Amino acid sequence: MKKYFFIVIIGLLALGSCKKWLDITPKSQVASDDLFQTEEGFEEALNGVYMRCGQPDLYGGELTFGFLDVMAQNYTLSTIIDPLHYLQTQKFNFKDAYFISRKNNIWDGIYNAIVNVNLILAHIDQQKHIFTGNNYSLIKGEALALRGYLHFDIFRMFGSGPDNAGKKVGIPYVTTYSNKVTVTSSPGDVIKKVLEDLNAAKEMLESVDPIRTSSYIVGYPGGDSSTENASPALFLQNRRNRLNYYAVCGELARVYLYEGDKTDALSNASEVIDSHKFPWTNQADFINIDPATQDRVLYKELIFGWYIPWEAQDLKNRFQSGTAGLYASPSDIQTIYETNGTGGEDLRYKEWFQVGIDGNMLFQKYKRNPNGTEDDPAANLYPLTAPALRLSEMYYIAAECSYDANPAKALDYLNEVRRHRGMGQPLNVSDKNEFINELVKEARKELYGEGQIFYMYKRLNKSITGQSGSLIPAGDNIFIIPMPNDEIEFGKR
Amino acid sequence: MIHLLPGRSRERLYCKFLLQKFFILSLILFISTYRPAAGAQASDVARFTFSLKDVSLVTVFDQIQKHSSYRILYNADLVKELGNVSVTVKEAPIEIVMNKCISGKPLKYSLSGNTIVISYPSHPERAKQDLTTSSKDTTLPVTGRVVSAGSGEPLIGASVKWKGTTQGTITNGQGNFSLPVSTGSHILTVSYIGFQTKDVEVDVRPGGPLTIDLTASSATLGEVVISTGYQEINKESYTGTAITVSGEDLKKVNPQSILQSLQVFDPSFKIVQNNLAGSDPNQLPNINVRGSTALPGGSNTGIISRNNLAGTVNMPTFILDGYEVNVQKIFDLDINRVKSVTLLKDAAATAVYGSRAANGVVVIVTKPPKEGKLQLSYNYELNVTTPDLTAYHVLNASQKLEYEKLAGLYISENNPALSQDQLDDIYYHKKELVLSGVNTDWLVQPLRTTFGQKHSVYLEGGSPAFRYGLSLRYQTSPGVMKGSKRNRYSTDLDLSYNIHDKLLFKNTISITKTNSQSSPYGNFADYVGMNPYYPKTDTAGHILQVVDSWTDRSRNGTINITPVLNPMYNATLGSFNKSEYLEIIDAFSTDWTIVRGLRLKGLISVNQTRATGDNFVSPFANAFYFYPTDALNKRGSYDYNNNTQTSVDGTLTLSFNRRINKNFINLVIGSNMRTYLSDLKAISAIGFTNDHFSDIGFANSYATGSTPYSDVQQERLIGAFTSLNYSYNDKYLLDFTFREDGASKFGANKRVAPFTALGLGWNIYKEDFMQGSIFSRLKIRASTGLTGSVSFSPYMARATYNYYLNNWYATGAGAIVNDYGNKNLQWQKTRDYDLGMEIGFLDDRLLIMPRYYYKLTHGLIADVTLPPSTGFSTYKDNIGDMRNAGWELNFQYNVIRAKNFNLNLTANLVSNKNTIVRISDALKAYNTRVDSAQKDPGNIGAPLLHYQEGQSLNTIYAVRSLGIDPEDGKEIYVKKDGTLTYDWNAQDIVPVGNAEPKVEGYFGASIRYKQFNLNFNFYTRLGGQQYNQTLVDRVENADPRYNVDSRVFDDKWKAPGDLTFYKNIADLGQTQVSSRFVQSDNELELQSLYLSYDAKKSFYSKFGMESLRFAFTMNDAWRWSSIRQERGIDYPYARSFTFSLMTNF
Repeated sequence: MKKYFFIVIIGLLALGSCKKWLDITPKSQVASDDLFQTEEGFEEALNGVYMRCGQPDLYGGELTFGFLDVMAQNYTLSTIIDPLHYLQTQKFNFKDAYFISRKNNIWDGIYNAIVNVNLILAHIDQQKHIFTGNNYSLIKGEALALRGYLHFDIFRMFGSGPDNAGKKVGIPYVTTYSNKVTVTSSPGDVIKKVLEDLNAAKEMLESVDPIRTSSYIVGYPGGDSSTENASPALFLQNRRNRLNYYAVCGELARVYLYEGDKTDALSNASEVIDSHKFPWTNQADFINIDPATQDRVLYKELIFGWYIPWEAQDLKNRFQSGTAGLYASPSDIQTIYETNGTGGEDLRYKEWFQVGIDGNMLFQKYKRNPNGTEDDPAANLYPLTAPALRLSEMYYIAAECSYDANPAKALDYLNEVRRHRGMGQPLNVSDKNEFINELVKEARKELYGEGQIFYMYKRLNKSITGQSGSLIPAGDNIFIIPMPNDEIEFGKR
Repeated sequence: MIHLLPGRSRERLYCKFLLQKFFILSLILFISTYRPAAGAQASDVARFTFSLKDVSLVTVFDQIQKHSSYRILYNADLVKELGNVSVTVKEAPIEIVMNKCISGKPLKYSLSGNTIVISYPSHPERAKQDLTTSSKDTTLPVTGRVVSAGSGEPLIGASVKWKGTTQGTITNGQGNFSLPVSTGSHILTVSYIGFQTKDVEVDVRPGGPLTIDLTASSATLGEVVISTGYQEINKESYTGTAITVSGEDLKKVNPQSILQSLQVFDPSFKIVQNNLAGSDPNQLPNINVRGSTALPGGSNTGIISRNNLAGTVNMPTFILDGYEVNVQKIFDLDINRVKSVTLLKDAAATAVYGSRAANGVVVIVTKPPKEGKLQLSYNYELNVTTPDLTAYHVLNASQKLEYEKLAGLYISENNPALSQDQLDDIYYHKKELVLSGVNTDWLVQPLRTTFGQKHSVYLEGGSPAFRYGLSLRYQTSPGVMKGSKRNRYSTDLDLSYNIHDKLLFKNTISITKTNSQSSPYGNFADYVGMNPYYPKTDTAGHILQVVDSWTDRSRNGTINITPVLNPMYNATLGSFNKSEYLEIIDAFSTDWTIVRGLRLKGLISVNQTRATGDNFVSPFANAFYFYPTDALNKRGSYDYNNNTQTSVDGTLTLSFNRRINKNFINLVIGSNMRTYLSDLKAISAIGFTNDHFSDIGFANSYATGSTPYSDVQQERLIGAFTSLNYSYNDKYLLDFTFREDGASKFGANKRVAPFTALGLGWNIYKEDFMQGSIFSRLKIRASTGLTGSVSFSPYMARATYNYYLNNWYATGAGAIVNDYGNKNLQWQKTRDYDLGMEIGFLDDRLLIMPRYYYKLTHGLIADVTLPPSTGFSTYKDNIGDMRNAGWELNFQYNVIRAKNFNLNLTANLVSNKNTIVRISDALKAYNTRVDSAQKDPGNIGAPLLHYQEGQSLNTIYAVRSLGIDPEDGKEIYVKKDGTLTYDWNAQDIVPVGNAEPKVEGYFGASIRYKQFNLNFNFYTRLGGQQYNQTLVDRVENADPRYNVDSRVFDDKWKAPGDLTFYKNIADLGQTQVSSRFVQSDNELELQSLYLSYDAKKSFYSKFGMESLRFAFTMNDAWRWSSIRQERGIDYPYARSFTFSLMTNF
């Protein structure tokens, strides 16, 4: 009899002791633990972050040519028909439902991207052994860079500006994948952490980023002498669609300038400029009349841009359908661009704006070759990209950082950009104030529809020149976007 | 006192005896078949010469066999007992040898060919003599089987003893017993609780196994053994709440649906009313037991309308013959296969199912084949269903046109688009139609009276060792909407092999195929809205696609002409919407009786279901009528899906079942594992050229923005459990259950969940002091326990990644994390308290069984709001408590019990109160969203579901209303602070009613007169409320362009002083949700009526039949309700009539 009991007990134990058996890998989804078992998994997770950021609620829309440029008063909005519901956003009505929904989506979306970065960083060190080549450093470096980049943008929107007089508003700097609340960091701490992550990234990427090799030549895909698609590994191609070494330098220049550390800002901006990796766009390409071969976005000068071919149709609707989309009235556009004198020669105004049938100016920077299919990069000179960092911004940063020490050098930087935009006549200024005004004016022209100019106004605590030349006074009421209610309530901010 | 068999030796002896008996039996069978041949070669060949002194007969027989071709069949043990012999023969033929061998012994032999069978003489006198002469140890035990007289089911644990002695035993798991013969008695007394005690006189020897059938002592008592799926427990000693219903009784209530009829026996088992789906034969029911224990939103907290609460996830667990199945299996199961259904409700009964137990467990046992000669049962059913349109009261053509005129459709003030002349033209055009006799009854167009058929055949038979059963079923269930149907075909093969009642192997293979089809006529609601003056065909009799048009002016000033499309047109096209599945189940079990009372049982079942769905919409269908000209190549659509579900369920149990003195112990320990894998693949294609090329291969492209879709879900569960049912002297009862479950659904940190339950009971009427009282039964019992439920999707507790499938990034594919996988996510825990009594009078002819229960569910799965800086806005956690408390009452009264006439009355009533005790912040925030959603055009005038602590899930939320102000025809609302206003505001929404009835249940009677049986059951519901949506949508806010409820002619406010229910007739605004439309909901329904006639033996035996019964059943035949509301919106309700014939050959 004992024998039988024994058999039964063994049987029960055998069934009862397989806890592992209960761990199931979902087939149509991927468990995080499984994803991070392979190098490809890390690559896909990293690509996933870039893709998340390229969605229309973030850099594939609002943060590049939507929300932020509306607040920077770049577009004319009809008070009668407001199809995209931007009218109240333009008026800084922070209680408007559409404004609230957009800024909440931005906050949620960026932190969602950040948590994806944090998951990579949480797994990468214990899996270091699975990586081949330089992929460990490349992925970890980019992940750190993304964390800094994204936090910095969140801070530039929801935190207080460097020169504001009111209360200091920080943001949570999140470094974990958890349901626990991360405490709010002070503005100084945020900048410190951003710089930590970016500098760590710079260090990791310095020796491993293929873009640093001389054989990596930036250009149009498939055309000229570009080697951007030369790598046999897709993951190592198109470095400019990811946070490459120079993009990290450029971002560092931005952050140092924001902090007021002009020395470090200048050195990082100079590193990009002096690398001569990013050539100025040929004027012939810029003004080419063949839509298939015209380079309106000045692609070669991009240090970093989000790859967003899936936005082609949305962009077409956004800018191409006259009063139903975002446009500028002729008078408004003339407060930004000059039409007479030296400024009148500006190629950007000529190539980026077209008079529509209703007399309004339609924005053409992202126009695609109408004969190509929507998302076929081959039908255009360059793939559809949301510019994030460009060479001209490095010149502007260098100019701003140099002015105090060497005004002539500063003007040289500025005139260099102007020259490449068709304005041969060098600019002269009498004082710093005038210089800054010219710099902002120049940057606003250059970075139209790229989501950067709002940050510049905020950094300089400068009043924004609005429609028909009206001035919107600088202040926390327009520069500090309130955090989402859920964040305040459940994060106890 | 029952004397128990002592040692093991007897056990072994008995076993050996059986083994030999079995052997002999088969040999005899074999030899007798070939007798002529065998006889020819036997004869005088062998002559024996030997001399053996003082040896056992066995040795003698051995020698004979060794040296000849004779085979001697005998019982060695018995023969040994007879002592030694001395035999000397010379040249003797076998007959002489044998005679010498057995001379002086109580043996006989028979010679058949060259086979010799040694046996005991069968004369009883001789047997008694033998008994007295041989010592006690040499006697053979009496063996047999105790079964229920009605069903032939074995009775487990029945007491068998020699009358007037203390020697006795109880039957084992197969109902078998073995009892040593007694010196004192030759009459066996067989007794079993709930059955009449029977005395059987026994031929002690040689005695083949006896079959003793017991008759149930009281017809009202019903089943006496409760099957929990893991254990068979005597109802008398059980403290859990379980309702057992035999398949036969279920069939009397509703032969078409097991689930429908089960709720008659226990209204706590409630099929949730689905007012949209009506009597759609393809609609799977939603069920909850003793109230809802989950939030209807479940995982998604989308806005839910009160009228559309179909998505409730609250299903009980279904166990079929020991393994878990889904509700679809029971829905499509042949009712003729069902032996019994047991509904386990409280923790004491369900805790053995641990994490699956909280919503109740339904245990279904199918009929095992009966031994005996080949028996064929045949069952035929003709099921007639007719649509029930009594809830619909629409206008006829002339009334409708009159209403349109009254509603001002033809006054140019209301129609600035058109001049009065044009409007008059339209009116007279319609008037002409009406006068010419066009009065289409649109309601009946998609409907029909249907005839469904069912043939079931069951073949069974076999020996005690080997039994077989084969069932075949063909069943068609057409629905009352033309073209809708559900056809089921199934076959089951049961084989069982029983080795000496020690080891039982059983295998059941069951194959079911179901084909279902939706009606091409579409939604019934489309027909309800059609105006009766629209002609449905042209003069040539062809179905029209466009029957009329409406003209109005849009907001921007353009004139719109909207064609009115004929919903019948769709049915003339080649569209189809069908699905089918093929299910194969194989269940294999072994049951090993290690020693008497101790059994080891293993069961493994494999279930695979392959389902496909095909939905083709013709490019000419109304749905594509409005497609612009540049999208003509996108017309027509095809949705295809393929789902394969595989589950494996294995159970191993060791059970111990024994009476030791006054202690009765029924203990089971076991383990159970289950895996489930569902693999769904689906694609949607669009662009078809015409009706004929309806294969998906003709599609032009994938549906816009869609890609192939797949979803794989996998679940694993493992559990170990023990359950004890103990009684002392049949008076003091105890049940204890413990189960530990591990499930893949649980979070990684909470993989293992313990569940326990304890029940105590007292059979007061068995106490000495109760003898002679008026109570024939008085039992009180109480139980408590903790059970679980896991009503969330399999991967909720894990961090998972999804790929961006449509696009790649410039540097490859991207994956993104879905959610915060809560590793601490666990099962919902339900704490259950149950108190019950059983009171019987008049020899249990009157039985009253009240019960009270209190269920508190902790840790409802709900969204918890996170600060979005964590990367997620919500995650799942166990937040929220819900309470269900209520009482149940079963009443049975056997009013008349006579040979030819029997009358029983029954009533089963329940009352449940649901209360939301605690909810999460996310759900509170949901209420705010609901308030604003109440303003969306789709939701105005329809109450939405709210979650409020202290309220019920069934609470109706609206703004309080004092009715229509006679002064100005406006509705007077009561604000939250009690002040009155004309302005409706979502902020003032408060609970205004509760859809949960105060009492609901069934009552009825069963009457038997000679061979006639009449059974009927009424359903009733009292004390709840309903929001009458029909009054809002189809009366007060009726859109005059569509056909409406006839109450539109009821008084509306027209001039100051009018006291009316409805608002100002001139007010064309949409009525907001208010308490004005909350009406009390009382209902009485004749749920079922059954009449049967058993033919006389003299009649059916002419045809070689063994029984013949005719029956007629009516379901949902008559209904009264205090609320006049349209019901069966998308699919009408139906009445059902079934004629059936049952016979045995």
